[in-house]
Amino acid sequence: MKKKQIAITLGVMCFILTVAISIQLKTVKNSNSTAAQSFINDGLRDEVLKWKERYDNAYQELLDSEKQLTQVREQATQNNTTANAKQEQIKENNMLLGTVEVKGDGLEITLADNNAAATGLLDPSKVLVHYDDLLQVVNALNNAGAEAISINGQRVITTTAITCEGNVIKVNGEKISSPFIIKAIGSQGLLLGAMTMAGGYLDILEDWGVIVNVKTVDGITVEKYNGIINYKYVKRK
Amino acid sequence: MIFIAIIMGCILGAIIGIYAPMVPYTYSGYLAIAIIAALDSVFGGIASTLNKQFDLKIFVSGFFGNAILSMLLTYLGQKLNVDIYLAAIVVFVGRMFNNLAIIRRYYLEKWTNHKKKVSTENIAQ
Repeated sequence: MKKKQIAITLGVMCFILTVAISIQLKTVKNSNSTAAQSFINDGLRDEVLKWKERYDNAYQELLDSEKQLTQVREQATQNNTTANAKQEQIKENNMLLGTVEVKGDGLEITLADNNAAATGLLDPSKVLVHYDDLLQVVNALNNAGAEAISINGQRVITTTAITCEGNVIKVNGEKISSPFIIKAIGSQGLLLGAMTMAGGYLDILEDWGVIVNVKTVDGITVEKYNGIINYKYVKRK
Repeated sequence: MIFIAIIMGCILGAIIGIYAPMVPYTYSGYLAIAIIAALDSVFGGIASTLNKQFDLKIFVSGFFGNAILSMLLTYLGQKLNVDIYLAAIVVFVGRMFNNLAIIRRYYLEKWTNHKKKVSTENIAQ
């Protein structure tokens, strides 16, 4: 009698078990494609992170070597006036190119998406900052005589492109997002006047509902260009 | 008797399982860990039957209790971003091997005893 009970219980348990196993088998078989896809996604993400790390390491190495180069140059030109003058020229040129950090009095403009207003609007596009807004602001700053401009740490140099990549903006090929902090060095009065004048671009942006904040900052630091300037096709005449 | 019941249960379960609805993929991980827990309980049940220590209450409570506990642990692990289900799998599969070893030893012993008996009978003749 007891053995019969045991047999029935074990049978019922095995029944439940096999039902569960066959449901699971079916589920896994049918969802195979999504699982595989997520695996592929994970793999790609890993790859991207790996390459990013490698890039960062290489970039760090480059920075170290550059620092070393500057030191060696300084040592070599210490007791030589012509070489010293050349050295100064190199420094000057680097500053003009934007490959060194610069400091000076200037302006800090903050543009930010107005998320609070965006939720209630049918078309929130108006209260968001777009790439062409940044282009307009940079253009206006250049027009007002800005000597160095950076957007969220990305220095604006001669080869800088400001592009729209879906829901992010790319400057120098690096993704940046709201809030955008634009730093510019130049005559504070001229810059401020040009940016805040009635009917100016920032005025229009503010009217649309974008968060705009302009302030003058003394001794503002504009970051250096984080890439390599590499001319392949331009030749000296 | 016991094995006939087990095989009957398996066949019936497979037939019904083929026609049962699928679970969403999100929950299939929980079902998988519950299956491992239940499988462990069944092997444990068979092993204890062979050792004549089978207790119905322990078996049934272990079957459902382990399955539910392992599912809860998996859920907790997912919330904490720790793969707790790995620990559950290690424990359950380890026990499964132990129970399989007990079952295997029982039948090996039976088989060698039988062989010995047969050979002694042959000698006697």
